[in-house]
Amino acid sequence: MYDLIVIGGGPGGYEAAAHAGRLGKKVALIEERRLGGTCLHEGCIPTKAFLKSSKLLAECRKAERYGIRLSGLGFDVGAVQERKTRIVSTLARGVESLMKRSGVTVIQGRGRIAARNAVRVNEATEQARNILIATGSRPAAPAIAGMDSPRVLDSTSILELHEVPQRLAIIGAGYIGMEFASFFAEVGTEVTVFDILPEVSAAADRDVAKRLTEAVARNGARFELSAKITRIDGSTVHYEDREGRAKTLAADYVLNATGRKPVVEDAGLDEAGVDYDAGGIRTSELGKTNVPGIWACGDVTGRMLLAHAAAREGIVAVNNMFGVKDRIRYEAIPAVIYTHPEVASAGRTEEELRRQGIEYVKSVVPMGIAGRFLIENEGGTGFVKALAGARYGNLLGVHAIGDGASEFIFGAAWMIETEMRIADVRELVFPHPTISEALKEAILQASWE
Amino acid sequence: MATPVEMPRPGITVEECLLVRWRSRKGEAVSTGQVIAEIETDKAGFEVEAPAEGVLLETFFEEGELVPVFANICVIGQPGENYEEFRPRKDARPAPVPGERAAAPPASPHAPASPPAEAFLSPRAKRFAAEHRFHPAGVVGSGPQGRVLEEDLRRLYHSAPRVSSLADAMIHEGHVAPAEGSGVNRMVRARDLLDAPVRLSGVREIIARRMRESLAQSAQYTLHASADATGLLAVRQRFKSAGENININDLVMFCTVRALVEAPELNAELIEGRLYRHPSIHLGFACDTPKGLIVPVIRDSQNLSPAELARRIRLLTEQALSGAIGTEDISGGTFTVSNLGSLGIEWFTPILNPPQVAVLGVNAIQVKPVRKDGEIVFIEHIGLSLTLDHQVIDGAPGARFLKKLREKIENVEELVSGEL
Repeated sequence: MYDLIVIGGGPGGYEAAAHAGRLGKKVALIEERRLGGTCLHEGCIPTKAFLKSSKLLAECRKAERYGIRLSGLGFDVGAVQERKTRIVSTLARGVESLMKRSGVTVIQGRGRIAARNAVRVNEATEQARNILIATGSRPAAPAIAGMDSPRVLDSTSILELHEVPQRLAIIGAGYIGMEFASFFAEVGTEVTVFDILPEVSAAADRDVAKRLTEAVARNGARFELSAKITRIDGSTVHYEDREGRAKTLAADYVLNATGRKPVVEDAGLDEAGVDYDAGGIRTSELGKTNVPGIWACGDVTGRMLLAHAAAREGIVAVNNMFGVKDRIRYEAIPAVIYTHPEVASAGRTEEELRRQGIEYVKSVVPMGIAGRFLIENEGGTGFVKALAGARYGNLLGVHAIGDGASEFIFGAAWMIETEMRIADVRELVFPHPTISEALKEAILQASWE
Repeated sequence: MATPVEMPRPGITVEECLLVRWRSRKGEAVSTGQVIAEIETDKAGFEVEAPAEGVLLETFFEEGELVPVFANICVIGQPGENYEEFRPRKDARPAPVPGERAAAPPASPHAPASPPAEAFLSPRAKRFAAEHRFHPAGVVGSGPQGRVLEEDLRRLYHSAPRVSSLADAMIHEGHVAPAEGSGVNRMVRARDLLDAPVRLSGVREIIARRMRESLAQSAQYTLHASADATGLLAVRQRFKSAGENININDLVMFCTVRALVEAPELNAELIEGRLYRHPSIHLGFACDTPKGLIVPVIRDSQNLSPAELARRIRLLTEQALSGAIGTEDISGGTFTVSNLGSLGIEWFTPILNPPQVAVLGVNAIQVKPVRKDGEIVFIEHIGLSLTLDHQVIDGAPGARFLKKLREKIENVEELVSGEL
């Protein structure tokens, strides 16, 4: 009898298993493939490895501005793929070793809930006091004719491309679509991004989304917003543009980046009576499902679809299983888009604050206010927007665009999480010169006295 | 020598008490052990006894005020003795020593008779207090005779809620912090405060009690009628042209006074089975202030002209809003008017202000179809809601008063003709 069986070895599942192991519990982790989940194998890690290469290439193109002369610049897809594979393998070994160190039994196979306290895997039934469902998500396929064409890739299969396509059509301007748009535009692909919405939805903040669209367009991507895809013919996209005119776009590949959906099928949820729908498994802020002893975390809950949110949810669930008071707080979970330039945010947007009837003050400062940003980003663009409560001056949201934002956004999340006020931030010392000083300036300029 | 009387601490979690009532008034003689005041905590009522014999030289707080524990509430001594040295500072809350943590004492079933003195700390507790700069007041120890042990202080020290900067700001505005929050390491966050019950303010507490008493001790009913407001609107316009700032409500109050002069049975108070009719009309009017409902009183309103009445209403309203109104101006009313018409209310049931026996509600002005010379015309009417105590005023006399009031309002031009 295990204290806990985790189904799914992504960041939600393996962090939870390791945490329970460290608490001295008997834990099994069931994973069908290699440990690490979407994040490590098909998501966060490989895409960021790709993006590093495209960003470096873009930097090299303007090396002269830094006083460096380069010649014979080229892009070697094979080498980029190889580097990605190496990084993924290193990290996968790290996860395996984490499981070993934490005393977690890893079972390779497909787990399925058999009863409230039993999981069926590899023809055997394992008993457990607690079951944590962490089956993650997979790319969603919209109902568009021709989506099954072999030339239509999703965020998983596109990572296996061993060529740089000449022309790529990306359907969906969410963060996945925008990251691939940023990458392919910089390595020389003619990129066209389609979205049915009038604006890029990748960034929650409207001003950031606008600036991101401009920046990615400057890098060579074209945008067809308010566009309705009618069908896909091989690798040709048929669509109606914003004026409703029927058009076609011939590409070499089409990337379906319309979103992801929770993996709720085939896990025994119905038999166990777990409450879920197509949007995911319903959980409380303690990680509980409606069935006692069955818990869920990560993408399968359909809540945030972020690796770090999944890991935190998993740990919250484990703590509550074993009597440690804990709860998830979503208000300050940061989000990053690794486009070039990067986008990072934490807390609420202006739209959310207006909807909630919260009066706020805001300030927007250019990233260049921090000397280090100018040094590091020749010709770079960006700004930081800070939102604070009008009454108490408490920080409510930070929305930033500009390279370096991903590394300082945790600070904003921390301040929001601990409900710091502008006056408190004034007491904090930021290292100089760093890009994080832009965060400080934005907050301090959101004056409220 | 004069003896100050402190607000006691009737429980270790109590930081301030509501001064409900003075049993003895300033200048009265009191004897040792005599109850001089009634106080209330969130949980129970208590009495304050005179610690010495003498005359109540001065009281420092009004009824209805929240008084910090251990603050001097009054002084007993011989007439002529100086008592100023005992007057508490305006903000008499015990000022926290910088760097010191505020104590959040856990609920204890043992309410102390009096706070233990410093000597009640064990040597180890003293050392803990010194090292941690932690000197909470009113701790009852678990040692013999309530001696405070190190363990008691340690538990208190660690049970004090840690709060976020935002929550801290909100606590200063009167929000109550739970012992444990939902933040990192159980830090108290803003939303934890919003979940917590809000303690009623002193003024609110008084209002609540008076409202309950009003409904429990009288037989209230409300009559609704409306009066042609054409005259009111015309008169207001005329005053305005004459440079006199008089509004509809002022004029309705003026008419009410005139009607009350002719109906003394409504300008009365019912106290312990006896009806006191008042020759003077001390007219109260409900005033919405940031602290809650306050009813300023215009003394001898029957002697005032419309302009004088309006000016008096304006002055008292300003004082009530700024909190600068004196006690004498919020007590002794004999009849009350409450106007919700300016907020668009069409009719309501005002609650009696006991021991008064009648209260008038003034409603919004609305057009009403009226048959006139065989035709339907639309005429502006002002709504009137009169609540009466059926113990002493039956329906017919109440209705007759309302009729009289309507006549005054409809003939207001005549009524004020000498004034313009």
